[in-house]
Amino acid sequence: MSSVISARGLTKRYGKRTAVDGIDFEIPAGRIVGLIGPNGSGKTTTLKAALGLVPFEGHLEVLGFDPRTQRDDLMQDVCFIADVAILPRWLRVKDAVDFVEGVHPRFNRERAERYIASTKLEPTMKVRQMSKGMIVQLHLALVMAIDAKLLVLDEPTLGLDIIYRKQFYQNLLEDYFDEQKTIVITTHQVEEVEHILTDLMFIRDGRIVLAASMEEIGERYIEVMVSQDKVSAANALQPIDRRTVFGKSVMLFDSAGPAGVSRQQLAALGETRNPSVADLFVATMKGSYA
Amino acid sequence: MNTKTMKWLLQREFWEYKGSMFWAPVIVAVLLVVLMGGGLLYGLAQHFPSQLTIDGYTVQTGGKTIRVALDVQKRIALIASGTYLGAAVPLFGLLAVVVFSYCLGTLHDEQRDRSILFWKSLPVSDSMTVLSKAATAMIVAPLITIVLGTVSSLILLFILCLVTSLNGIDMFGAVLGSPDLYLSPLRLLALLPVYVVWALPTVGWLMLVSSWARSKPILWAVGVPLVGLLIAKWVSLAMGEFAGEPLNIWHYATDTVARLLTGVVPGIWYTFTGNGPAALRPGDNGFDPGSLVTSSYATLGTADAWIGVAIGAAMLYAAMRLRRYRDEG
Repeated sequence: MSSVISARGLTKRYGKRTAVDGIDFEIPAGRIVGLIGPNGSGKTTTLKAALGLVPFEGHLEVLGFDPRTQRDDLMQDVCFIADVAILPRWLRVKDAVDFVEGVHPRFNRERAERYIASTKLEPTMKVRQMSKGMIVQLHLALVMAIDAKLLVLDEPTLGLDIIYRKQFYQNLLEDYFDEQKTIVITTHQVEEVEHILTDLMFIRDGRIVLAASMEEIGERYIEVMVSQDKVSAANALQPIDRRTVFGKSVMLFDSAGPAGVSRQQLAALGETRNPSVADLFVATMKGSYA
Repeated sequence: MNTKTMKWLLQREFWEYKGSMFWAPVIVAVLLVVLMGGGLLYGLAQHFPSQLTIDGYTVQTGGKTIRVALDVQKRIALIASGTYLGAAVPLFGLLAVVVFSYCLGTLHDEQRDRSILFWKSLPVSDSMTVLSKAATAMIVAPLITIVLGTVSSLILLFILCLVTSLNGIDMFGAVLGSPDLYLSPLRLLALLPVYVVWALPTVGWLMLVSSWARSKPILWAVGVPLVGLLIAKWVSLAMGEFAGEPLNIWHYATDTVARLLTGVVPGIWYTFTGNGPAALRPGDNGFDPGSLVTSSYATLGTADAWIGVAIGAAMLYAAMRLRRYRDEG
């Protein structure tokens, strides 16, 4: 299979507002893609379109299916966690496991139980008695036991404390992900996912402003700690972002930009390094919060 | 249709609505047995009424049992075994309330708590989900009521027999020997398909509103038909003034609203078709419970019944389509 998700001219309008504005993208199998953008940029809408949760215009194929007309087939191979608080409050842990086992042909009960055993969840516990972190643990236990080809995570760790967040991604990477699977994650907490991502997509005002693999990004963007005497020379090379840390200027350069700066050129200005996804995000999104 | 998935969907509805589907009727059944049974025991065993009359036969006066002819005893037993399920009438009233609120809540609740997104992350289609909810309303809930009603009525009948035998009328043999004792619960089961037919328009309407309304489904479900009634009244009045002769739409409007809102009441089909049950008028041999089944099935011979089925099914289909793209809370 070539692509897990393939979009061409994907558009979604809510009344007069255009949430997703004719975007094109391809997500190949075996990748972990971070879909990152500010609130209201259209990332959740894009995912909802891919999951057949909202109607849309344009072309969109997920695992070879059209989510509008073939959702029932699609859901055999796709799973998603939409938000932390969506497990119904009356659901018991053991009932949840029984139910998902009953309706999902690719559910591995033993796997779910093994994961639950490693947490504080009790079989008779109801969702309403759980903390937010425990609800996510239960949801993750259910989802990780499903052998899906595509897993979509929309803000999966929103509102969780740092321990749960770290554990969540660690479990996902260690116990779930393999080259047969594809994961798409949206999150605000870029720092926590950047180490597990293989690909990055920045979305802004319903358009994709950057789509690249992490290697490509590492090659293309360079951050330089510019020494005091070389600031004006550095500014002449058109950095896409500049900030000051402890009195030192830190500038971000795009080697594929109009100025076409090379790594050697920049090394002469000061110490170079790869920028963090968060810094890159802030630089790319400049203006959209203003 | 995947029967295993359907079984789990029905199980899920039962988990979610266990309180109203199961515990509420259990509590009412227990109350019925305790209050009515206790009343019987207390009233008859402790304070003999000055006169006890059963079916026109005075069997007891001034605390002394009159010798009752055997055939009369037998007749009393027959009546008791034919009508004992009448004790469960409050349970069937409760059923109407439970089914009404369930249908109005079920598709709305999952949107409100956003759990719809969890259910939709599993390979379960919208049509299966909506069908499972309709089946819960029209089959599972009535079955629970039939079982509880039968059990509690049997206990009450046993208490009645016990009390009368303490007073010199032994009915146990006659009651146990009466075929009606065993046939009555089966008759209730036989009425289930009739219930489904007449409940479908109401179930369809309520579930459609439940799926569609962003908030306060009860206001929409009841308000829209009432506003419709007002408009119908106004139009028929105005037309009456204008044409000099009142229009017939008022009649149709009230009929439609009744079918949309009260179809889940067991036995309501008699009022819809206008032929009150002959069975409810005691004949020569007392009440004939068997005629309840035949007269109920007779209502299915009307076009009204099947027009309602078609409209109810269409509304359920619309609820399914609405749920397809209802994800935002």
